[in-house]
Amino acid sequence: MARRYDSRTTIFSPEGRLYQVEYALEAISHAGTALGILATDGIVLAAERKVTSKLLEQDTSAEKLYILNDNMICAVAGWTADANILVNYARTQAQRYLLTYNTDIPCEQLVRRLCDLKQGYTQHGGLRPFGVSFIYAGWDNQRQFQLYQSNPSGNYGGWKATSVGANNASAQSLLKQDYNEECNLKQACELAVKVLSKTMDSTKLSAEKIEFATVGRTAKGTIYHHLWGADEIEALLKEHGLGKQPEAEDSRA
Amino acid sequence: MEVLLGITGKDYCIIAASKAAMRGATILKASDDKTRSLNKNTLMAYSGEAGDTVNFAEYIQANIQLYSMRNASDLSPYEVSSFVRSELAKALRSRNPYNVNLLLGGFDSIKEKPELYWIDYLASSAKVPYAAHGYAQYYCLSLLDKHHHPDIDFEQGMKILRMCTDELKRRLPIDFKGVVVKVIDKDGVRELEYIDDKQILAP
Amino acid sequence: MDALVSRYSRPAFQNEGYSKEDQQQALQDVAPPLSLNFALPPVASAASWLRAMTDDHSNPNVPIKIAHGTTTLAFRFKGGIIVATDSRATAGNWIASQTVKKVIEINPMLLGTMAGGAADCQYWLAYLGMQCRLHELRQKRRISVAAASKILANLVYSYKGMGLSMGTMCAGVTPTEGPALYYIDSDGTRLAGNLFCVGSGQTFAYGVLDAEYKYELEDEEALELGRRSILAATHRDAYSGGYINLYHVKESGWVKHGFTDTNPVFWETKLKKGEFSNVTANLD
Repeated sequence: MARRYDSRTTIFSPEGRLYQVEYALEAISHAGTALGILATDGIVLAAERKVTSKLLEQDTSAEKLYILNDNMICAVAGWTADANILVNYARTQAQRYLLTYNTDIPCEQLVRRLCDLKQGYTQHGGLRPFGVSFIYAGWDNQRQFQLYQSNPSGNYGGWKATSVGANNASAQSLLKQDYNEECNLKQACELAVKVLSKTMDSTKLSAEKIEFATVGRTAKGTIYHHLWGADEIEALLKEHGLGKQPEAEDSRA
Repeated sequence: MEVLLGITGKDYCIIAASKAAMRGATILKASDDKTRSLNKNTLMAYSGEAGDTVNFAEYIQANIQLYSMRNASDLSPYEVSSFVRSELAKALRSRNPYNVNLLLGGFDSIKEKPELYWIDYLASSAKVPYAAHGYAQYYCLSLLDKHHHPDIDFEQGMKILRMCTDELKRRLPIDFKGVVVKVIDKDGVRELEYIDDKQILAP
Repeated sequence: MDALVSRYSRPAFQNEGYSKEDQQQALQDVAPPLSLNFALPPVASAASWLRAMTDDHSNPNVPIKIAHGTTTLAFRFKGGIIVATDSRATAGNWIASQTVKKVIEINPMLLGTMAGGAADCQYWLAYLGMQCRLHELRQKRRISVAAASKILANLVYSYKGMGLSMGTMCAGVTPTEGPALYYIDSDGTRLAGNLFCVGSGQTFAYGVLDAEYKYELEDEEALELGRRSILAATHRDAYSGGYINLYHVKESGWVKHGFTDTNPVFWETKLKKGEFSNVTANLD
C-alpha cells in the first residue's frame, strides 16, 4: 500500500498519512539523542554525538549544536547535511530581521520561519522533506528564555524540557519524572547529563561523545550562549560522577 | 510651510502637525491630519511631497499592522523606527524615492519610556527628546533647547508646545491653520483638543 | 606745454573749504551721489559680474566667498534697548574669525549692528558715523536715530541691485524719540520696531526672545534674555558662534556688557540649569 504513496511526491495515503514525513521522522529516531531543558535562569542543550573517533578534530566538527544568532542556538537530530541547509536559512533570516528592525528576531518567529520552509517540503511535488528535528534554545524581550522543538512536518511547539532522536521516548519520560520547574541552570545541566547517561548506548560518557551548550544571563544582565569545550564537559561529567574512570582510560590507551 | 513638532516628557510623547493642506499658493483643506497611528503605541507624523506622504504612511501603517496580526505582538517604537528607516532607505536607492519627512512618537511598554524619532527623507534617523521638521525647526528648536527638560510632566509639555505654536503663529508668513495634537502614553494614542484661536502678533 | 599743464593741474586751493555748490549739495543730500570714485570692474554689467563671482546659486565654485552668517538682535524695553550679537565671520564653510565686533559704536549714543557682508557693513557704518558727526557739527545737535537710519537706508537703496549685502539695526536713545530702533537692509527696507533679529541665526534667536519678551522687562532680565538668545543661535546655527557681544543703550548713552566666550556659557547653562537636554555629556 505504502509503495503507491511515497515514491515520488508527498501526497496523502488513503489512511491520511504522509509516508515521506513519517520516514523522515523514522530516520530521526535513529539519530543521536538531543535534549533541551529550560531553567529559570537559562537553558541547556545536550546532544549525543554518534560519530566519534580519536582522529576527529574536536573543535571544528560540531555535529549537533549550532549558533543561529546572538541569542539563539539549536540542537539537531537527523540528517546533518539537511540541517546545514536549514541552519544556514535560519541564520540568514535572523540577520535579515536584524537588518530591518535593528533587534534580534523573536525566538518564535525564527522557529516559525524555519518551520514554514520545512512545511513547504511536505507539500510540493518531487521534493523530499528535510530529515531533521530541531530543539531551539533562545531568549527574547517578550518571553525571556524559551525552548522549542520542531520536526520534518513543519510542526513546532514550546517546551519546558524535551528530547529528540534515538531513545527519545525514554529520555522524555526521564525528563518528565525529574524535571522541576524551579530548577536553575546548574541543576538543569545535571539533569541533562543524567538523562543522557541513561539513554545513550555506551556505558560511560565522555567529552567526545556528547555536545553541550547553554544560554544564560551574565552578571551584568546580558544574554550569552556558549558551546562548551571538551574540558568543560569533562569537568561537568566528573562533578556528577559520570566521567570515565582514569584507570579505564589508561587501560584503553 | 508644514509644521511637525514632537516633545517627550516623563511618561508621554506629544506630536503636533499643522492642519493646513497646501498646494502651491492655495490651502485646500484646513483640517488635515498629517498623522497615522501604526500600532497601539506608535504614531507617525509626516510632511513632504504631496502624494508621497500619505502613500508612504499608509504603506508603513499596513505593514506594521500586518506584523502585529501575524505575530500577536506589537513592534516597539525603536523597531518601528528601524523598519521605517529601512523602507525609506530602500526607496531612496530605487527609481522612485519617497520625499517624506517623519516624526515617530511612541511609548515602549517594556522599558516604560516614551520615545521620539526624527527621520528625514534621506533616511537619517535619530532618537531625540524633542524634534521639529521644516521651518518649525528654525523657530522651535532654540526654544525647546531652553525650556525642555527630560522629566517634565504633561502640563509642562503642553505649555512648551503652546510656546512653540505661538512662536510659529507669530513669525511664519503663511497661516498653517493650527495644529492637530496627539499624545502617546502607556494607554496608547489619543487626540487632544487644542484651542488655538488667539491671535498672536510680532511685538 | 602750458596748455597741457593747465589741462591736467588744478589750482592749489581747489580742495580747500566748501564751494557754494558743495555746501548746497551737502545740506540737501547727505548721501553722496552715485558717482562715488569706486574703481569698477571693466565689465559690461558690474552687478551681474559680482553675482557670478560671489553667488553660490549662479556659480557653485565661486572665487569670492562673502562673509554672510551671523546672529544679531536688538529689542526695546522699559529700560532702553538691548543690542547683542555673536562674533563669528564665515566665508563659505570657512570660519574666518571668531572675534569680530559686530556692534559698531557709531557715536556714544548710537549703535549699529552688522549682518551680511562684513566689509559692506563696516565700511558703510563707518561712513554713517562720519555723516552723523557732520550732522552734529552742522546742526549743532545730535542726529536723531530716525535720521541716521534714513541716511543709511537711502545710501544702500542707491546701490540697490549692485551686490551690497547688509542687514543692520540702528539703536539709540535721544531726548526727542526716546529709545528708538530701526532695521535697515540692503534691499532698501527700513523699519522702526520693538524687536528685531537679523542674520542666518535670526530664527533661533527669535524663538527664545519672543517667548519671554515683554516691554516691562527689568534691566538684568533684558540683558540675560539677549545673552540667552544669542547663545541659542550660536548653538543651532553653524554660521554663528564665538563670543556674545552685549550692549545696553540708555538715555545717557550705551553701556557695554562684555564680550563673552559662548563655550563656557553653554556648558554652564546646560549643567547648572539643565537646558540643552538633547546634548548628552556622556557617551552611551
